[in-house]
Amino acid sequence: MSEALNTSWFDPGRVNLLVGLAVFVVFLVINISRARGGSEMFIRPLAGLKAVDEAIGRATEMGRPVLYLPGLGDMSEVGTLASIAILSRVARRTAEMGCDLDVPGYDPVASTIMDGAARQAYIEAGRGDAYRPGTVHYISAQQFAYVAAVTGIMLRDRPAANIYMGSFYAESLFLAETGNQTGAIQIAGCDQVTQLPFFVCACDYTLLGEELFAAGAFLGREPVQLATIAAQDWAKALAAAMVVVSLLASVLGHPELGQLLKTR
Amino acid sequence: MRNGPLLVTFAVGASLVAIFFIPHHKVQEAQSVLLDWANVVYAFALILGSLSLWASHQRKVFARAEGWIYSLVTLLALAFVTVAGTVQGVEEGTLVNKYYNMVNSPLASTMFALLAFFIASAAFRAFRARNAEATLLLGTAIVMMIGRVSVGEYLWHGFPPVTEWLLDVPNLAAKRAIALGIGLGAISTALKIILGIDRSYLGRS
Repeated sequence: MSEALNTSWFDPGRVNLLVGLAVFVVFLVINISRARGGSEMFIRPLAGLKAVDEAIGRATEMGRPVLYLPGLGDMSEVGTLASIAILSRVARRTAEMGCDLDVPGYDPVASTIMDGAARQAYIEAGRGDAYRPGTVHYISAQQFAYVAAVTGIMLRDRPAANIYMGSFYAESLFLAETGNQTGAIQIAGCDQVTQLPFFVCACDYTLLGEELFAAGAFLGREPVQLATIAAQDWAKALAAAMVVVSLLASVLGHPELGQLLKTR
Repeated sequence: MRNGPLLVTFAVGASLVAIFFIPHHKVQEAQSVLLDWANVVYAFALILGSLSLWASHQRKVFARAEGWIYSLVTLLALAFVTVAGTVQGVEEGTLVNKYYNMVNSPLASTMFALLAFFIASAAFRAFRARNAEATLLLGTAIVMMIGRVSVGEYLWHGFPPVTEWLLDVPNLAAKRAIALGIGLGAISTALKIILGIDRSYLGRS
């Protein structure tokens, strides 16, 4: 017997997610309006991002390249999208400082997009002629083949700075330890919770979790982009408050609020 | 015309968000079609990526740059897999399948096995009692390592429960806090892309 086809136009079990999304969009609109109205957006300094300039400057002085790894995600992963935003800022800085940039790609679609983003960054920095074809190059979509190639690049080319931004998995420690052995300054940002401890151990600076998604806006310092970080912070504060309130309600014998927060 | 890609991104992104809340079977079928289209785009991008790979290694071989032999091996392997895969396919018993099972898989497993030594070297460097937090990390790491092996329970029956508590309470709390931030950051980034606030993927600031 065939399964009955679903003909409903809304899943009532996901109404809490829809409300949460709507609240987030409202926060976004409010903060973008504040930014466009000239309000100052305070974003706490992130040591890892302040070190990007230092790392690129170090690479320029030493005459060695900057190695930027965008992670092992494809374009459907948000970590990769965040990495592309950061790459465009990093490429602009390397163009301004006249430093070589090397971006080995894992995903062919992401590599193509990153090539365009890096090239445009060089053009916007007024150094379009300095963009070297092959700056962003596809390696392999196999995890350890990619790792083998990248560690080979690290050991042969000895980049002065390694920047890891994106989605990394089991290869994170492999890459970070090899980079550590070459003496490079290392800055990492990863959206995989299980890999963060490895980057914290092996890298000089690590962006924890959401800081990866704030990095692109932080480096660009555009008011509208900074406004999205403020909206993110408001949403996080609201989520934390709801967790505390539902916990207290559960302890006092009213678990209904906690049930409202459940998803399926 | 310049805003064409932004409109496409908004239309597709907003549609996929809406599809998440609409269980109607026709709408879910539309999602499957969109994902199939993404696979087609991926296949074409793979051709571009392979050509880029070929070009970069060919340059090294022709220029007899340092390590050009390895580039030649890469080119030969790429050519072999492409031709053999096109002619025979990749099913069980084909040359590509045998190459994958006899060469690629063992090599990947070897690389994965090296990770144990990298963990040891990272632990040796990171677990030093430099300050209070580092000392706490060192102590916790010692308890965890002893508690996760059989000899830990033999030495003291309390090691495994302490280890489990460390994993289930403070570690899980920190993981969930970071995961909450990551989730919100992911939503923020996705909305920025969909609404056209962040255009870096188009090569625009």
